[in-house]
Amino acid sequence: MAGTQLRHIAKWRGEIPIESLYTAGIGGQRFFKALKEKGKLVGTRCRRCHQVFVPSRQFCERCFVELTEEVRAQPDGVIKSFSYAYIDHNGGRLKHPVASALVQLEGATTVMLHRLLEVKDLSRVSIGSRVKAVIKPKGKRIGSILDIEGFRLVE
Amino acid sequence: MNERVAIIGVGVMAARPSSEHLSFKEMMFEAAQKAYADAGIDAHEVESFVTCAEDLTEGISIFDEYTPDQLGAVQKPMHTLTQDGLYGIADAVMQLRSGLVGLVVVEAHSKHSNLENPNSILNYALDPVYNRPLDFNPHVIAGLEMNGFLHATGITQAQCAQVVAKNRTHALKNIAAAYPMNLRAEDVQSSPYLCYPLRDAEMAKSADGCVVVVLAGASRAQPSKSRPVWIRGVGFTNDSPTLESRDWIDAQYIRAAAAMAYGQAGIKDPVAEIDLFEVDDAYAYKELQHLVALGIYPQAVAAGRAVENGESGAAGKMPVNVSGGSLGIGHTLEASGLYRLAEIVCQLRGEAGPRQLPRAKVGLAQSWRGVPTTSGAVVILGR
Repeated sequence: MAGTQLRHIAKWRGEIPIESLYTAGIGGQRFFKALKEKGKLVGTRCRRCHQVFVPSRQFCERCFVELTEEVRAQPDGVIKSFSYAYIDHNGGRLKHPVASALVQLEGATTVMLHRLLEVKDLSRVSIGSRVKAVIKPKGKRIGSILDIEGFRLVE
Repeated sequence: MNERVAIIGVGVMAARPSSEHLSFKEMMFEAAQKAYADAGIDAHEVESFVTCAEDLTEGISIFDEYTPDQLGAVQKPMHTLTQDGLYGIADAVMQLRSGLVGLVVVEAHSKHSNLENPNSILNYALDPVYNRPLDFNPHVIAGLEMNGFLHATGITQAQCAQVVAKNRTHALKNIAAAYPMNLRAEDVQSSPYLCYPLRDAEMAKSADGCVVVVLAGASRAQPSKSRPVWIRGVGFTNDSPTLESRDWIDAQYIRAAAAMAYGQAGIKDPVAEIDLFEVDDAYAYKELQHLVALGIYPQAVAAGRAVENGESGAAGKMPVNVSGGSLGIGHTLEASGLYRLAEIVCQLRGEAGPRQLPRAKVGLAQSWRGVPTTSGAVVILGR
């Protein structure tokens, strides 16, 4: 690792470049396949605790059982919490805040974190506001969480 | 076997915004020397060592290989936990109660000023498939949690601002604090938003520092030169870390950790039986959320009122973060919990000088590992 000498002899700069592959797994592939091919949001339901996980998962974290029952969530949901970030991912100040929300979709018992789209007037958003997921057109979907553009407020 | 465990020595480096004249090894060496002198022991007497660190914030892979020299741990049992320092205390307690060793050292430090992109490093802690592609700053998680917490409990933004004013004002009396400031809640509320409703001034600023703690079984803790502070209970748990299915209102990791610690300590009524609290305040609202989870306020809204009316201030009936907390001392990565613990030890020994509380017989230290985690620990200490 080449070092750059800083401030006389006190500090040296270096970096660790890390690149990885990440696997979605059986549960995750089920979600991404339905999203990419059909534009649908699927989850899995635990037969013991009745939690409906969206995105779908292979196992229930509470009951420690396999999840086999697939359910489809609706793109409509309700905001459980929201925030406006005035900083970018590395801490730099943003001129225009980026809105995000935790949304519980109809048919799900869990929440999804995503962007809140086209929020011009911040005072119009509140916990309990209704939203709809905006899904990219089929030709642009690749099987990623970004195939969902975000949530848009429903008037 | 199963003998009682005491803290017999603590070495604290004053937390500072940066420390470029020292290497992390020299910081550890300084805190270790202080701790061993405080305990009245020689480094060679220590039988086992625990350090708490995270590779990515050290900028070194396999960090546990870098820790023996500066603690006197060469050719001794030692290991590193990727956890907050209070987990290290739990680890040491288990080692001592097993009877395999009689003297254990726990260390944690922060060399945060060496991190050039701390937010990006924190971002690597987010789920790489579902969350990281959104490219949010990870502090958004705190903004989302705070918003939901205030909405569900009726605690106000002004009350969260009051937590900052209280803790940074407390820090004026702490020589080890990096961010002392005589602040009012109004000053905090004029600070810009970081991630609405979380304001910039409501997030603890980072600091460098190091704490070393010496623990002993009862048979080693008796000599008159050590002033043993007894560990009465330890608990540590994780809630589900998954953003999609975790509890966003209640800090259940602390509720469960506290139940463990209260059970061991035989504490039925924490409000009546504990004199002072040092709790995680990495973000101002977290102090209130953690106090609620510790069972101090059966109705969460009372946590907000308590900071407003001074009950949780140094002169109040239930002082919280007299040290200044992370808001006043600075957030010191995995050492944060040990700074909380060091304050309890100092108060229980009656050595807190200008901030000494008149009644300090039983104290509680609590830690949280920060966003996006749901890892928390609770340690109860008694004289």
